[in-house]
Amino acid sequence: MKFRMLFPVALLAFASTVLAQTTLNVVTAGDQNMVDYVNNYLAPKFEAMNPGVKVRAVGTGPGDAGSQKIYEKLSAQQKAGNNEWDIDVAVIHQLASATMVNEKLLMPYRNDVSAGKLVSRDTAKNALGANVDGYVLPMFHSQIVFAYNPELVKSPPKSFQELNEWVKKNPKQFGYNGVKGGMSGVGFVTGWVSAYSGMGDKLEKGPYDASTAPAIDKALSGLKEFNQYVVMTPGNAGTLDMLNRGEIAMGPVWVDMFYTWQADGRMSPKIKLVLPSPGLPGQPMYYVIPAKAAHAALAKKFIDLAESPEVQADGIIKQFNWYPGIDPQYVQPKLDQAAWNKLFTDVSPADLSKYGRPFPLSPYFKEIVEGYERVVLK
Amino acid sequence: MRGSAGEGQRQHPVITGKASTRGAALALIAPALAVVALFFVAPLAMSVVVAFRGKDGGFTLEHFAKSFDFYTTDLLFTLAIVVASTLLIGAVAIAIAGYLTLGGNPRTIAVLRWLYRWPLFIPFVVAGQLMRTFLAKNGMLNHVLIGSGLIEPLSAQSLLDWRGIVVAFVWKQAPFVTLLLAGAMASLEPQHIEAARNLGARRMSVLIDIVLPQVRGTLLVGLVLSFVTMLSVLSVPLMINPNSPTMVTVDVAYRISTHADYPVANALCLLSLALAAIGAVFYLRHAAARVEGG
Amino acid sequence: MATRPLALPSPFALPSPLAMLLRAAVLALLAFAIFGPLLNLLLWAFAERWYFPNKLPIEFGLTYWYRVFQPRGNALASLGTSVWIALLTVAFSLAVAIPAGYALARLKLPWRGAILLTFLLPQAVPNLPVYVNIAQVFYQIGLNGTILGVVLVHASHGLVLAVWIASAAFASVDASLEEASRNLGASPWTCFRTVTLPLATPGLIASAIFVFLESLDEFTGTYFVGVPDVTTLPLLMFNATMGGNYQISSITALLLLIPSIGFMLVVERFLKADVLAMVGR
Repeated sequence: MKFRMLFPVALLAFASTVLAQTTLNVVTAGDQNMVDYVNNYLAPKFEAMNPGVKVRAVGTGPGDAGSQKIYEKLSAQQKAGNNEWDIDVAVIHQLASATMVNEKLLMPYRNDVSAGKLVSRDTAKNALGANVDGYVLPMFHSQIVFAYNPELVKSPPKSFQELNEWVKKNPKQFGYNGVKGGMSGVGFVTGWVSAYSGMGDKLEKGPYDASTAPAIDKALSGLKEFNQYVVMTPGNAGTLDMLNRGEIAMGPVWVDMFYTWQADGRMSPKIKLVLPSPGLPGQPMYYVIPAKAAHAALAKKFIDLAESPEVQADGIIKQFNWYPGIDPQYVQPKLDQAAWNKLFTDVSPADLSKYGRPFPLSPYFKEIVEGYERVVLK
Repeated sequence: MRGSAGEGQRQHPVITGKASTRGAALALIAPALAVVALFFVAPLAMSVVVAFRGKDGGFTLEHFAKSFDFYTTDLLFTLAIVVASTLLIGAVAIAIAGYLTLGGNPRTIAVLRWLYRWPLFIPFVVAGQLMRTFLAKNGMLNHVLIGSGLIEPLSAQSLLDWRGIVVAFVWKQAPFVTLLLAGAMASLEPQHIEAARNLGARRMSVLIDIVLPQVRGTLLVGLVLSFVTMLSVLSVPLMINPNSPTMVTVDVAYRISTHADYPVANALCLLSLALAAIGAVFYLRHAAARVEGG
Repeated sequence: MATRPLALPSPFALPSPLAMLLRAAVLALLAFAIFGPLLNLLLWAFAERWYFPNKLPIEFGLTYWYRVFQPRGNALASLGTSVWIALLTVAFSLAVAIPAGYALARLKLPWRGAILLTFLLPQAVPNLPVYVNIAQVFYQIGLNGTILGVVLVHASHGLVLAVWIASAAFASVDASLEEASRNLGASPWTCFRTVTLPLATPGLIASAIFVFLESLDEFTGTYFVGVPDVTTLPLLMFNATMGGNYQISSITALLLLIPSIGFMLVVERFLKADVLAMVGR
């Protein structure tokens, strides 16, 4: 491992700071288990490698609201003209990463870490159409899927078309969280528009063309009718919550959250997942380093550790059953076959690559979400 | 509204006219006012600027136009929820505080006093979570209702819409107003109440005709504080019903976290403040009446 | 609060067994309304597994308590910080609210209504966008990441309770006692210190409770001004609740009950009912 070879060099480089306790501030959006992961899994490893360094993990809350709060803190320090910012490593969603790169709040670092060569997904360079090449490394990849209770849903709909017919036969059994309660609902809406406008590729790859607006509105008006047969849930966690109590039989959820709920005993182990055609969006969580992080060199070492194939295999896949952030070909050899297969229990790798799509480009994204407010909610 | 009972005895000297005392008064209030001015009003002014600034940096009303275009329903919904909650909080607080003051059974009073205060210590965000699991279709309330045979399983419905928000608000805020109100009622002159009771007045009419008018001011203040607090709470509607129609705080959070749209978010905040001003008007009228009344 | 029941004879009361039954029924309903939701909190705090179609947890245990109290989780340290911040907020708020309350109660002030409403402002605005601005200012002046910064933000938010109630407390002090003291030759300061302040103390303590609870519930301002250097338990609770981590959020909520109720019990001994009668006047 390259970072192991770097270790003695780094030790010398940081010999001066070893005496004084250095605190590496890792601020992460997402659920509490992300904070626990940094605190309990990554931090002890990193602290053992870097004596005198203490890792402090703080969470900012789930969803884009959590990432936005990190953006706001960095932006406040930029506007205040501070030279040393108080966040060394941040873990954020795509939407915020685009804004942060655009406003020069981040530091390019991918070429400075050895794990930078291990990433292959398009999302390592591109976030909702914004060029984030070099500024981000995916911590893990997540995917929106339909979770369903097989006792209530014998043969789950395999496409949006089938879903549309299914809800009419099974009213109030499907639930999703609209656009104001988090990205699993937003992703369902953009997935719906991709499916019913037939412009999936254009929405994801561009270029942006304002004349597509009527087609988007038309797809959304179908969603308005669809909504009469479904339950609106309170947020990403709200969909899981209603699945937990059996109030809905099916709904779109983030696969990482789903597995967390199952691991924490809040979701029946019987609940299964399906990824419908022509697809639902997925997105990674990114490791980023703020442009004026006080301990940038340490931050790079930290991310190098977190992105190493061992940590990705043992931490991300084995502990959480999350899709790895780096290219699977580097991770798979570090795992036994059973652990690897568990990752694809419900959704096969083939389905994942075919139906796991990126979110639409940001102008389309905005148009769809605001169109939802205009067409569906009014 | 100063109670007529306390009026004669508690007349305090209002020193008038002298510029030096006015200066002293301002000097005494300055530190507290400075805290709010520096750490809230000034940052709020930055938000006001953002709400009125267009892309070109000039003055614009477009963010307000967009707010009305997209969120008029939510503004009205918010107002309706907060007004309904305030009225219910008032009713609950009067009932509990009234019984604590006038109730005949000491044991009931003791139990009631121990009972009503618990939600005071539960933060809003937790109250939201509790109601989400309590009022849901397969939540504890329906389990109890079905288990006791009060409703049929099929007629069980979810209360997680505007009703859930109102329930959560009343649950959380009623103890606060009750606490203030019970304190105010306990400090009334017992002779007045006893006299009325001796004349044969029913307990309800003693409460309405004699006790309530004297504690109107405290009740109003408790309700105004609750009214404005509920307007600015995000976690309860976010946990219970963030879908359309929803409360303005949810829209503010959504404009920020999904669109990074601070101008519209700030415009919505100012519109929410305008709703809060409705509560403030009641308060000002009360304050004005107090000045006239002495 | 020590409300004084007026145990009046009730000539028109219902026949007593029926009345007793009715009272018991109403109390039971109220108890269910209050403790029903709280029971959920208690169940989730100890639930290891709980999902449909089970109406109650399938398995109870302490796993999540271990998780909250794990050495690196810093829950106890955060709880300590939260209580320390709340106490400082109370002290700071009272320090500025006592003179302000006295002026509002006893002295002629121009724009009195407007001043009282200014204190209401921090409660009345959805505060997220404002705290973003505060963060920027605090970064500029080096207050970000300090306990003092968090205390100032909490204090400005809770000040309306402190000032309104302090003003009520002073207004309820019998002015003739002050006059008597002045007539005996006491200076205004001595008079305030020996007569007015002691008589107003119960009311000031009442305001302390509300400010304490307010500070202990706050997390948005704490995030923007405190994190990552200052972290409190409500922050953890908020994140856990929003993510639907019911076990963690229930446990942290239970932990936060300890200082809340403890503080209330300690200070309640000093409370006097009539202060609350004057709030906001």
